[in-house]
Amino acid sequence: MMEIKNLHAAIGGNTILKGLSLTLEKGKVHAIMGPNGAGKSTLSKAVVGHYDVDVTEGEVIYNGQNVLELEPEERALEGIFLSFQNPVEVPGVNNAYFLRTALNAKERREGKPETNAAQFLRLMRSHVERLGMKPDMISRNLNEGFSGGEKKRNEILQMEILQPDVILLDEIDSGLDIDALKAVSEGINRMKNGERTFLVITHYSRILDYIDPDYIHVLRDGKIVKTGGPELVKRLEAEGYGAIAEDT
Amino acid sequence: MGALSLDLVREHSPGPLFQRLKALGLPGNKTEQYRHFAIKPLLARDYTLKTVAVHTPKTGERLVIENGAVTELPAGCSIAYPSAFAADQGHYDALYFLSHLLAPAVIALEIAENAGFELRHIVSDARTLLPYRLSVTVAPEKHAEIFETFEGAGSAESLVLYGIDAEIGAGAALQWIRDESGTAEETALIGTHCFRVGANGRLELKTFDFGSAQALHLYKIDLEAHARCDAGHLLMASGTARRGNVVHINHNAPHATCVQEARSVLRGAATGIFDGLIRVDAKARYADARQNTKAVLLSPQAYMYAKPQLEIYTDELEASHGATIGQLDEDALFYLRSRGIAEEEARSMLVLAFADALIGSVGDSPYAERIRADFQSAYFTAPDAAKETP
Repeated sequence: MMEIKNLHAAIGGNTILKGLSLTLEKGKVHAIMGPNGAGKSTLSKAVVGHYDVDVTEGEVIYNGQNVLELEPEERALEGIFLSFQNPVEVPGVNNAYFLRTALNAKERREGKPETNAAQFLRLMRSHVERLGMKPDMISRNLNEGFSGGEKKRNEILQMEILQPDVILLDEIDSGLDIDALKAVSEGINRMKNGERTFLVITHYSRILDYIDPDYIHVLRDGKIVKTGGPELVKRLEAEGYGAIAEDT
Repeated sequence: MGALSLDLVREHSPGPLFQRLKALGLPGNKTEQYRHFAIKPLLARDYTLKTVAVHTPKTGERLVIENGAVTELPAGCSIAYPSAFAADQGHYDALYFLSHLLAPAVIALEIAENAGFELRHIVSDARTLLPYRLSVTVAPEKHAEIFETFEGAGSAESLVLYGIDAEIGAGAALQWIRDESGTAEETALIGTHCFRVGANGRLELKTFDFGSAQALHLYKIDLEAHARCDAGHLLMASGTARRGNVVHINHNAPHATCVQEARSVLRGAATGIFDGLIRVDAKARYADARQNTKAVLLSPQAYMYAKPQLEIYTDELEASHGATIGQLDEDALFYLRSRGIAEEEARSMLVLAFADALIGSVGDSPYAERIRADFQSAYFTAPDAAKETP
């Protein structure tokens, strides 16, 4: 379980999150929806420790510790993974080399033997194939020249190989065609194991049709204003965010 | 011998080279190409002037120049010591002429057949001024690949004034790869070079410089019709090093191409220098001239002097140039860290990737692996590493 308590955060001096509290239950799929500028991406960035976000108050308790006190890589090694809305291109860093380095870091942390290059290549090939990615993605530079869809699939590839415990998906569905959305959703569904926790940030209900969320949270003006079951999506679509009354 | 002065060569060399040196004057801190190099203290030191004894080298796999004398020569290459060498009067740098005047004889290397070998400079004398020059002639239609390396243990407070005068015949190709690193305990080096690329000839000049001492290379490259020059300069300097390249490329005839890229990684309080000028003559129509320089500063005290310039006297050409100087990409760094990669390792990955864009341009040759290993060794052992912050 991850518990976000009274989170206040700013970007560039503008306060975006204004006392956000949210409990992410272990093994459940939580979806956050909300209007533009509500603070959805800021929330995900705050949890993983992005340098853009200045957390001024609150805590995020996971595995008995406040992860806000950890460096970004330590948060990742604790099992927290963010699939970025716009994954950055990293020229010159080979995709396979990057991902094996990340996997080896996790293995070292867990006291496991490191996956060697040959083993890793086999592992990566099988995941690439399953995600419908082109084989040359393995040898290309990290996200360099990738289309929007390829970048999103590459995020899912990383997620599947690193096997994190808490997965934040920031608009994983944006810019995806039907086939890509299906492939990405299948990747997410493969990761569900009753133990893993998901936080899906989205504007649209489309992806929620594929991944069956347990909870829907409405984020408005830096706070969670409503929490409900999947039925809340239909209401949001019919009435819009403005019609949703704040939970008391 | 006291500080370097024109008097040192005046009596022995009254000819045109001395007149050219006199006209340019010994460089000082205000001389454009030495502005950030701190040349004055180097020239003011009290050196012993090395006089090189010419003797017959043994035949081997490498060309070895030890304290200015050829001690090993690869099979198939011939060497001579011409008493009168036609230095390029059009060179812009005074030390080009000074090194010609001080060098007891030019080491003239004739490459008449396709050849590839290592050129190793060994300098072991301390507090010595070591002037020597190498002339290389690649016969028309022939191909030569030269991998230049340096070894300088024990040569503290010495100054090497060396240089290459290369003549690349019509249709010939010269690949010149320099792998250089000098520590603070080693000699300072000033290389003044002149490459003439004949019609349809090709020069691939790739320099890799990973040092913490002082070193500056000053090139004049002349391109004839349909000639091509691919120049890449990777610099990683640390400590208080001042290192870099001054490169003047002249398009003298039509249809010549030059593509130049300089990348620098600067650490500690190091200063990097890239002063590049591509000059396209009025006669040099249909030129293709591209120049780019990028620098990453890994510490607040590091400094990059980047001066890319195009000087164009024709309208019929394609040309571009650009310069960027900054820190490591924070978004990329964060992305790697967000996957569990420790900050230091993530920084290393980005620096190595930045460097590899040029190291990879050497191709599949075994030299690329050696350069890559040298870069990593220099990067991971630099004294500044622990003090760097994102």
